Amino acid sequence: MSERVKTGIAGLDEMLGGGFLSETANLVEGAPGTGKSTLGMQFIVNGIQRYDEPGIILTFEEFPAQYYRDAETFGWPFRALETAGKLRVIMTSPEVSRADLERVGGRIESHVREIGARRILVDSLSHFERITRDPIELRGVVYSFVNALKREGLTSLLTRESPALIGEGDLSDEDVAFIMDSFLMLRYVEIDSAVRKALLVLKVRGSGHAKDIRQFEITGNGIEVRSKFEGREGILSGSPHRMAESFVEAFVRR
Amino acid sequence: MTNAGGDLAARLMGDMDPELLDFLKTKVNSFVKWDLVRFFYENPNSTDTADNVARYVGRDVSAIEVELGELVGTGVLERSRVGDLWVYSLVSDAETRKRVDQFILACDDRQFRVKAIYHIIRGMR
Repeated sequence: MSERVKTGIAGLDEMLGGGFLSETANLVEGAPGTGKSTLGMQFIVNGIQRYDEPGIILTFEEFPAQYYRDAETFGWPFRALETAGKLRVIMTSPEVSRADLERVGGRIESHVREIGARRILVDSLSHFERITRDPIELRGVVYSFVNALKREGLTSLLTRESPALIGEGDLSDEDVAFIMDSFLMLRYVEIDSAVRKALLVLKVRGSGHAKDIRQFEITGNGIEVRSKFEGREGILSGSPHRMAESFVEAFVRR
Repeated sequence: MTNAGGDLAARLMGDMDPELLDFLKTKVNSFVKWDLVRFFYENPNSTDTADNVARYVGRDVSAIEVELGELVGTGVLERSRVGDLWVYSLVSDAETRKRVDQFILACDDRQFRVKAIYHIIRGMR
């Protein structure tokens, strides 16, 4: 059985068939505020604290101080972990990190070696669009970037902003999601005049995974994946409706 | 006739840590450099182009390029080639990093900031 890199997030590892596959690139897409960065930080902090796997956060927009503050609200001691040499929060730009990873003995490579990093959060892949707007070229750039992360022995979690606040977004044939090893979607869902959050594992290359859409919440301890949405359909549209009672009786409650 | 300005300068010079005073006078001798040093103190793992550093500190690149170069010249920052980009980062030298830490932490004290501002303005004359 392939080695699994556990996120340590209750419910999510089970959905992933045990965790991410080692040294793979894993995309988490969602609208602003759905919890992409939280999920990424939790992947990193659990890696350090539960599985003794140091990690790197590569940020293209937020200042490290923002991560320290956000992490603190969940009780994750990022500053202390950085001081202990288990974590590095690096703010840079996509063009520099790309060029840095392409050369031998670059700074990111040095950071990986210095702390023995096994995991990386790249927040967010959307900023690579600053390099090029051409989807074919962008796919090539991202392909090279994620391969460099794999070369360094890292299991990566890359976030991407979804243009749609609610409902489904479109994937073009050249979308970078196709070069990722797994693809998770976080979505807002409106149910009974309240907004909830849904998580779907769309693909895990080379492994089985849960196909159902689960509810999740961001609690004081981070993300907690809950049960699937029962008796509703059209979840990904953002405005699900109840299944016909007869259908639920016949197929769902069996 | 007394030289009040001179007395004030002497008093301010007198009770400042000599190493921090030297760091201020020889390395962080402008407000833009102060901003840049603070940025790299808060982001010690950052490596980026002048354009991006300018964005991060909220200034135009033309306002920081010369100052970045001077911080490289005084050994606070280092400049290196990454692909076809010139990038800046804090030097890895532990002694310099310690001095940067001491300077920024000292800036938490209002009295120190007032003195530092005085020295920078005086140095700009």
